[in-house]
Amino acid sequence: MNGFPLSPVPFPDPVPQPAPAWILWGLLVFTFMLHLLAMNFVVGGSVIGAVTARLGRRAGRPHHMALVRWLTDAMPIALAATITFGVAPLLFLQVLYGRLFFTSSVLMGWFWFAVVPLVMVAYYGTYLLAFKSASLGHWGSWIRWLTIFIFLVIGFIFANNMSLMLRPDLFRAIYADGGTAHGNFGDPTLWPRYLHLMLAAVAIGGMWVSGYGLICRPRRPEFGEWAMRYGARWFSGVTAVNLFMGFWFLFSLPGETMARFMGPVPVATFVLGLGIFAGMTTMTLMFLAANAPRPSPLVGCGIGGLLVTVVCMVLVRDQVRRGALATMNFEPVQWVEPQWFNIILFLVLLVAGTLTVVWMVRALVLAGRPGTEDGPVP
Amino acid sequence: MNYPIWQVPAPGLVIALVSIAHVFISHFAVGGGLFLVLTERRARQRNDALLLAYVRRLSRFFLLLTLVFGAVTGVGIWFAIGLVHPQATSSLINTFVWGWAIEWTMFITEIVAAMVYYYGWDRLPARTHLTVGWIYFITAWGSLAVITGILTYMMTPGGWLTERSFWSGFLNETYLPSLVMRTFVCVGLAGVYALLAASWSGDPRLKSKVARYAGLGWVLPMAVVVPLSLIWYLAAAAGAGIPAAEILGADGTGLPAILKALFTADGTTGHPVAQRAALTTIVAATGVILMTLFLVARRRRNYGPIFTGLLTFLALVAMGGGEWMRADLRKPYVIGGFMFVNGVRLPPPAGAIRAPADIQVNDPYALDVLRRDGMLAHARWSQVQPAAEAAALEEPEARAEALFRTGRELFKLACTKCHTTDGYQGIRPLVAGRSTSGLQTILGHLARPVNREGRETGWDDPDLRLATWRGRRMPPFPGNQAEQYALAVYLSRLGGDDRAGFERQQAHGSPAAGPGSGREETP
Ligand code: HEM
Repeated sequence: MNGFPLSPVPFPDPVPQPAPAWILWGLLVFTFMLHLLAMNFVVGGSVIGAVTARLGRRAGRPHHMALVRWLTDAMPIALAATITFGVAPLLFLQVLYGRLFFTSSVLMGWFWFAVVPLVMVAYYGTYLLAFKSASLGHWGSWIRWLTIFIFLVIGFIFANNMSLMLRPDLFRAIYADGGTAHGNFGDPTLWPRYLHLMLAAVAIGGMWVSGYGLICRPRRPEFGEWAMRYGARWFSGVTAVNLFMGFWFLFSLPGETMARFMGPVPVATFVLGLGIFAGMTTMTLMFLAANAPRPSPLVGCGIGGLLVTVVCMVLVRDQVRRGALATMNFEPVQWVEPQWFNIILFLVLLVAGTLTVVWMVRALVLAGRPGTEDGPVP
Repeated sequence: MNYPIWQVPAPGLVIALVSIAHVFISHFAVGGGLFLVLTERRARQRNDALLLAYVRRLSRFFLLLTLVFGAVTGVGIWFAIGLVHPQATSSLINTFVWGWAIEWTMFITEIVAAMVYYYGWDRLPARTHLTVGWIYFITAWGSLAVITGILTYMMTPGGWLTERSFWSGFLNETYLPSLVMRTFVCVGLAGVYALLAASWSGDPRLKSKVARYAGLGWVLPMAVVVPLSLIWYLAAAAGAGIPAAEILGADGTGLPAILKALFTADGTTGHPVAQRAALTTIVAATGVILMTLFLVARRRRNYGPIFTGLLTFLALVAMGGGEWMRADLRKPYVIGGFMFVNGVRLPPPAGAIRAPADIQVNDPYALDVLRRDGMLAHARWSQVQPAAEAAALEEPEARAEALFRTGRELFKLACTKCHTTDGYQGIRPLVAGRSTSGLQTILGHLARPVNREGRETGWDDPDLRLATWRGRRMPPFPGNQAEQYALAVYLSRLGGDDRAGFERQQAHGSPAAGPGSGREETP
């Protein structure tokens, strides 16, 4: 037996990295944040939608049903956004950490590949609910719960891969086990990481609801205020539980990684501290909003607080990764030859694309709803 | 060897299934976009309410098909290639990440445009609605134009091999013919789709309108220009060193030569998989043409979903065959002239750009290194006895057993990207009844480096061609002599020789010198 003289971390390619690491990293973090916000609408919005649909079955709850309608109609769009904003971080992740990510993906095998058919089935489910909910009858609620289940499974698969890629020390044993599908079930960070993310998704789904209420308020004050309070209740209630998950996650981390947050790495300590502070502040604001006669200003501040929290927590997650990379002595690629022309072309096209998107969406929104006096009826 | 192996049999089939589905939908998404705007414009200009209602219905189905199935299978290709070819995917992403990032900006715009187009039917003024349709088409085609550069690079990497620059790989020899051909395919598929959608309608007037408009205007012209562009493409590929004719078993890349070869091929030379794929494409495409002609001439007012469903299916088969053939023209490379399907790289050609002197870039997975050190010395995930140790065991039974196991691992490392034991491209029938020494000879001749004139050359020749055993498009055996012997023992055992490895190795195939020992050293 040759007794594995080689490291379980694959060897880098003999081709240059096409951009400085900081650009790739910045784009990874930024696009992942967009992915996260959209994903939170998908996961949180559909959980809240299903529960609300149940609560709304009792007579005299038109707001519940109006909210469910909106969540259902917007779901295919949110899922499209989740996928589209998922592709970009996938690109940059593969450049920066492909050696770990491909390895953990191969070890996961079918389990990883399952994301593809699962997304497809759930996607058609959301369209079915959006386009045909009237004719679905009680099947509608089955499909609702099925899509939620699928979303939760997809999130779980991602949590497996994102945590497994940080554990090259486990790679060999998993591979030696044979077979074509594996998870990262032996890793103590898996469950707290996953539950922390999913509860955050539901909380942020609540924030989406409050945000929607804020937007609706000028035209439909009663519904708007109700939605703000209702979303605020979801946010503050779920976040109160999620604080514990966050600490569980922190304490499940390997010692060296956890230690980064306790002072020796100032950035890590700072983003975690600010993140917890911003998160608790947001929770308090939303708790107050849930019971306030005029929730709008509180919700507005809450959205601001949440954005700070999300930025911090994404950076905390990045620090967890950096901790693991440091522990395994992951060597960044030395040979860097930036393709400046392409980088600039990308940025130019990104701006052009964004402007085009804004123009199209604006045209649609300004045109108003069909049949209203402010929209043209052909 | 660098990455663990996902141990599904014939993993290439996973990629093939996902990508054929995706390619079909995505081409159709491009052509369909053009069809929608042009038809909407026509309907509005002529005040044709029937046609307008038809386009509108089409757009919902279009949304569901392209945004969901198209986008998700596209993501599926990423997942599949990362699982099956991590080494190649890593190399591609490092070279082309900005290409994909640029494509991503178009992808976002494209998706939003498709949604605004669909949700905007009653809300947007006609002109704005048409503009959104055009935005959709332009960005969708832009995505195609970007991806085609990367796909064609994988077969004909052009100047990239020595210059290692994005654009010299992107704008390679087969880029333009491929882009033109794919654009035509998009248009043709849009016509097929229009017929399929019209076949559900109960209105004979609409049917006849669409039959003439889409059948005569969209499908048939493309049925003529697609084969023409295919010939251009094959000629360009041949010019770039792809032995297209040899692979198809033909005398040249002209249409008559290829047709003759395909209909008479007996599988003894060339690459039978590619030949079957090409034949399938030609038969199916002919079927598409004949069915469309029949529909337009005889069934204009009353064609139904079964007829058009079959037509669509044939178009899918034609396209699938074409993609399959393209993938096989590339064999045995996954990235032409750079990396073989099993992840083994060629040494950089003489004169290639290298890393700056202060940066050390090693490549343990280059062919010359693997032949020198043996595959197992660099196989990060293997846990078997090195071949030389196994061959040195005294006790015959233990020796045969150890050689068998080591050989099996080597087979896994070097061959299972394409071969299974008994299933798809099964190896057992191919080695049945062969002796260990005969197999050693074959392994030594799987692929040899030759130059344009067919003379023996080094692996780092910038003008490298491959002379493959019976034109089978195999990569060279990437291990040392002892490993070649162990693999031969494994294979002959598979082929039925239970005594393989029991005899001590004869001088004929000794680890030091043997047939096929062409240890082409490179500087
Ligand atoms: C409903 C669908 C989806 C859900 C619920 C979902 C959920 C998640 C979750 C929970 C994570 C964080 C995992 C962790 O850190 O432990 C994640 C990360 C990620 N997701 Fe998604 N995802 C979905 C679809 C997709 C798709 C389709 C793609 C790609 C095309 C994608 C790309 C990514 C990437 C690249 C990351 C990691 C980014 C990084 O580590 O920096 N996701 N996703």
